[in-house]
Amino acid sequence: MKFVAVIRQVPDSESRLKIDAGRVDLSSATLILDQMDEYAVEEVIRLQEKHGGESVIVALGPERFEEAVRTALAMGADRAIHLVQEGYLDPITQAEALAEVLRAEAPDVVLTGGQQADWDSQALGPAIAEALGWPVVTWTTALEIEDGWAKARHDLDEGAEVVRLSLPAVFTTQQGLNEPRYPTLPGIMKAKKKEIRKAPTAAASKVEVLEQSIQERARLGKLLDGTKDPQAAASELIRLLHEEAKVI
Amino acid sequence: MILVVLEHDGARLRKGALEAVTRARQLSALGGVSGVVIGENLTSVAEEARRYVDTVYVAEVGAYTAEKWAAAAYAAAQKAGAKVVIASGGRQSRSWTPRLAYRLGAGLLEDTLETSTDGSRVIASRYSFLNRVTEKQAASLPVVITAKPNTTPLAEPQGEGSVEDLSVELPPAQVEVLERVTEQKKGVSLTEATVVVTGGRGLGSPEAFAGVEELADLLGGAVGATRAVVDAGWRPYGEQVGQTGKTVQPGVYIALAVSGAVQHQAGMNKSKYIVAVNKDAEAPIFKIADYGIVGDVHQVLPALIEATKKLRD
Ligand SMILES: Cc1cc2nc3c(=O)[nH]c(=O)nc-3n(C[C@H](O)[C@H](O)[C@H](O)COP(=O)(O)OP(=O)(O)OC[C@H]3O[C@@H](n4cnc5c(N)ncnc54)[C@H](O)[C@@H]3O)c2cc1C
Repeated sequence: MKFVAVIRQVPDSESRLKIDAGRVDLSSATLILDQMDEYAVEEVIRLQEKHGGESVIVALGPERFEEAVRTALAMGADRAIHLVQEGYLDPITQAEALAEVLRAEAPDVVLTGGQQADWDSQALGPAIAEALGWPVVTWTTALEIEDGWAKARHDLDEGAEVVRLSLPAVFTTQQGLNEPRYPTLPGIMKAKKKEIRKAPTAAASKVEVLEQSIQERARLGKLLDGTKDPQAAASELIRLLHEEAKVI
Repeated sequence: MILVVLEHDGARLRKGALEAVTRARQLSALGGVSGVVIGENLTSVAEEARRYVDTVYVAEVGAYTAEKWAAAAYAAAQKAGAKVVIASGGRQSRSWTPRLAYRLGAGLLEDTLETSTDGSRVIASRYSFLNRVTEKQAASLPVVITAKPNTTPLAEPQGEGSVEDLSVELPPAQVEVLERVTEQKKGVSLTEATVVVTGGRGLGSPEAFAGVEELADLLGGAVGATRAVVDAGWRPYGEQVGQTGKTVQPGVYIALAVSGAVQHQAGMNKSKYIVAVNKDAEAPIFKIADYGIVGDVHQVLPALIEATKKLRD
């Protein structure tokens, strides 16, 4: 069987974001494999360990994504395909470009992150499924496959659902699906020799980003000392919330 | 023409549907507003819906699956000649609207806060980078929009639209639901609460949440939890606030023994007021707090409950 993880590289959530000329400037941010995609990489490796076959990484994004691709290979995936495209590309257009590669690869299972940590989009998985005419399960917390079928558990707005569906299918990840492994030193050494096939893309985005800004609300930052007299601090806080902020 | 996909609970339109109608009316330069209701036994919701839109299309397709909703919304968009489709942006609609956008060859504006038009494009604002950045996006028509819940005033009814049955060509069912677990919420729902009291791992035990519940009750609010607490099995996942949990935007968010990791902040940093109690004065949560108490939660929480009771008397 063949298992594909579609991944992206995003700024580490702890990195400071800068804005330059109305755009997020990532030049000084630490960039990592999106942690939601990390669940996808871990899952394809586990599926391969259990069912045999191949685990493949597919990425669509700028040249710099190669680092994230190497991380996924160091975790244990077999090989990778990187569609190189600079700049913003909306998820519907991304899905179109990715579908071409995925159709050719013909995997049984495609996994990708539930939400992107840079564009906060949840659309890539469902859009890929549509492009391929496959079913999709979003926010997957458990996945088992058997004889061309999958059984999955996934989160809804309120609650969860267990579903059965035929393969091939697309799944988007949610915390709880697994615990991603760390790349080991031998893993990192081996990854250097693994194949990354690169291909340019020439897709045009349907959505344009006009302007980005960081509008952190100015917070009051009024701290009370509750170490000596917790009662007094608590009374004062409740008074402030009632009289000053007027929220209780 | 603009099409609103009107979410409902089987009996009534949901708040999100009325927010989506408001959004559609704000784009009236692009055309009149029709609606579609999708699901089963739709007579009563269709009756309610016709008061908000010119034409309600009724798509009886049975229980929810993403494929069915996408197919029904697509059929309605074709029938209405809609170049703009708007739905409210819960997890469910965010899983079928990409399918619809793909099928329509449309741009997708996801989880938008505000939408306007310059006559040929739709311009939207939204959060990105885990809620840290506000961005403006633009897309030419056709476009599919999801509206972030609780960001838009609810539409008022405006008359008597017509009701039309819609025939939908359903794709063969690909997903079979074996089991559905709906969370039993007691009290106010987390995403709609005006007060949220969240407990973090620093509370030390599931038992300590009795105090969190008591304070939330006294303030007419809902209980939230961090991922650390949910992973430890102290609280149900439905209470998790953050990147992989719920996004809340209450009048006041009270974080008790919560460190304030960025992934947690992603779910609460737009709250009007943020209050933190933490024994570590350097905890990141204090950097985004309006009010805070540096102290031991086991002493401060009972004192907060006492002080709130006094205020109520
Ligand atoms: C992909 C991904 C997604 C994630 N999604 C989410 C999410 O949706 N929501 C979420 O919350 N997290 C999420 N996280 C996890 C997040 O990074 C943090 O690990 C988590 O929020 C920490 O929870 P906490 O603050 O309860 O615990 P801790 O980080 O352990 O903090 C406990 C705090 O309590 C304080 N404390 C301890 N004892 C006391 C006391 N007696 N009195 C007062 N204060 C005390 C400590 O000083 C500390 O600040 C995610 C992580 C990843 C990688």
